[in-house]
Amino acid sequence: MSVNNLLENWSQFRHFHPVDDKPHDPYKWAMSIDLDACTGCNACSVACYAENNLPVVGKEKYAHGQAMHWMRIERYWDEDDRDFPDQGAQFLPMMCQQCEAAPCETVCPVAATNHTADGLNSQVYNRCIGSRYCSANCPYKVRYFNWYDYPTDDNVWPAEMNQQLNPDVTVRGKGVMEKCTFCVQRLHAAKGAARSEGRIVRDGEVQTACQQACPASAISFGNLVDPESRVHKQWKAQQVELDKEEQTKDKKEEGGSELRGYRIFEELRPYPSVMYLERVRESAV
Amino acid sequence: MHRFLRLSTLLIGLFAAVGSYAVDAPQPAPMTEDDLGPAIEQPIEFPHNRHAGLRNPNDPTNSDPLKGGMEIDCMYCHTYARRSAVAGIPPLQKCIGCHQSIASVRETPRIKKLFEYWDAKKAIPWKKVHDLPDFVRFSHERHIERFISQLNRPVQEVCGYCHGNVKEMTVARRSKSLAMGWCASCHQKDHPVTAEGGKPIGNQAYWYNFQKPAADTSGGAVKAQGPNDCWQCHK
Repeated sequence: MSVNNLLENWSQFRHFHPVDDKPHDPYKWAMSIDLDACTGCNACSVACYAENNLPVVGKEKYAHGQAMHWMRIERYWDEDDRDFPDQGAQFLPMMCQQCEAAPCETVCPVAATNHTADGLNSQVYNRCIGSRYCSANCPYKVRYFNWYDYPTDDNVWPAEMNQQLNPDVTVRGKGVMEKCTFCVQRLHAAKGAARSEGRIVRDGEVQTACQQACPASAISFGNLVDPESRVHKQWKAQQVELDKEEQTKDKKEEGGSELRGYRIFEELRPYPSVMYLERVRESAV
Repeated sequence: MHRFLRLSTLLIGLFAAVGSYAVDAPQPAPMTEDDLGPAIEQPIEFPHNRHAGLRNPNDPTNSDPLKGGMEIDCMYCHTYARRSAVAGIPPLQKCIGCHQSIASVRETPRIKKLFEYWDAKKAIPWKKVHDLPDFVRFSHERHIERFISQLNRPVQEVCGYCHGNVKEMTVARRSKSLAMGWCASCHQKDHPVTAEGGKPIGNQAYWYNFQKPAADTSGGAVKAQGPNDCWQCHK
């Protein structure tokens, strides 16, 4: 086996989901984010804080890089020689990409982060020992570590505010890694309700908190396996496939340049579950 | 020589130090995963055996319920079990709903206490017996659905898988450890996911969270293991 063969046929060598023994059946949760619609308003981030019991760490700890925003808006300045007020910026909502071949999973010493049959990258808080190796290995840097015991020592939620915590999500203690879960508690509720009726979750029946809050409807979320789902149609329209590390859009010479769909860091082959739709630039219109 | 550095002297010193510490320090009650926890005292010693217990076989009309049980369905009082994650404790209204019409036991101490709560318009502060840690997601609905709706097993047997033989208890006591290994011991068994001939049970196909079974060509019931994904139960 030459190195070339290994690199060219990487997806066959690397064991990742879906594989024959564990197909994505009937669910594969995936997302697509339209960067042209995103205005960088941060509503998604706020909704995530409310839904997932995220501690607000304050200015000082934020400056130390200890913010706990599972959903963050990354800002990229245009480099077109214009100065600040005129300078354009682009926004990119960044959260856990729920990689199919997640780099974080392979390095966890206690297997606290695993791949689920639904194609999610799970994080089991009570199993985590806080080695932070997963965070070091995450190319997207979307894993957040509890450096402090926020609920008690830092009193992030004073007594009355405990009432606003989501009971379906654990309040994490000190020394535990956490990250975006695609609002797994909502997925569980929706799957349970559907299962009682002997069917699978319909498209649009379950929303993530960020999707629900997005005023521009930039985020769509759903079951990639379901051919009727909005996400499936978007991925298909953009010719983005889950188990490829190079999409049609990247092969410019083959005329794929009108496509907007791409996934971040595909060349690292984590096979992420989030597709971004490239912003349509002024110059291109 | 330094006589106090001799090994025996050091060891005696060490044991003395550790021993005195061990005597002083308050030791927490040893907890193992099989521990059933302390006995819980309820505000009213509720007789599960009287309500859910089997009828006296020598008394088919059940004229004297004190000698046997009433065979009330568990879900008559724990009514949320079939439609939500928690089984639910019945509201006081439910107790009174029956007991206001049962004159024969009206003057017994427990029922008097019950009506004291009712007259004071106060809920009975029942204490939780089967309390799972906050990081565990358990749904009664799923298990009721599986064992009672799909497999048609008797209610008391199904509830007893986790709650023990409640129909012979007064105040409910934990009789299963509810530890993760105990849960897994059942989830790791091969459960039938289709009836004979491959027909899905209760119109539900195998794929509802069960591990996909190897293709079965013999035409018998396909079996698969229960859900064993970490995130299935941990939140």
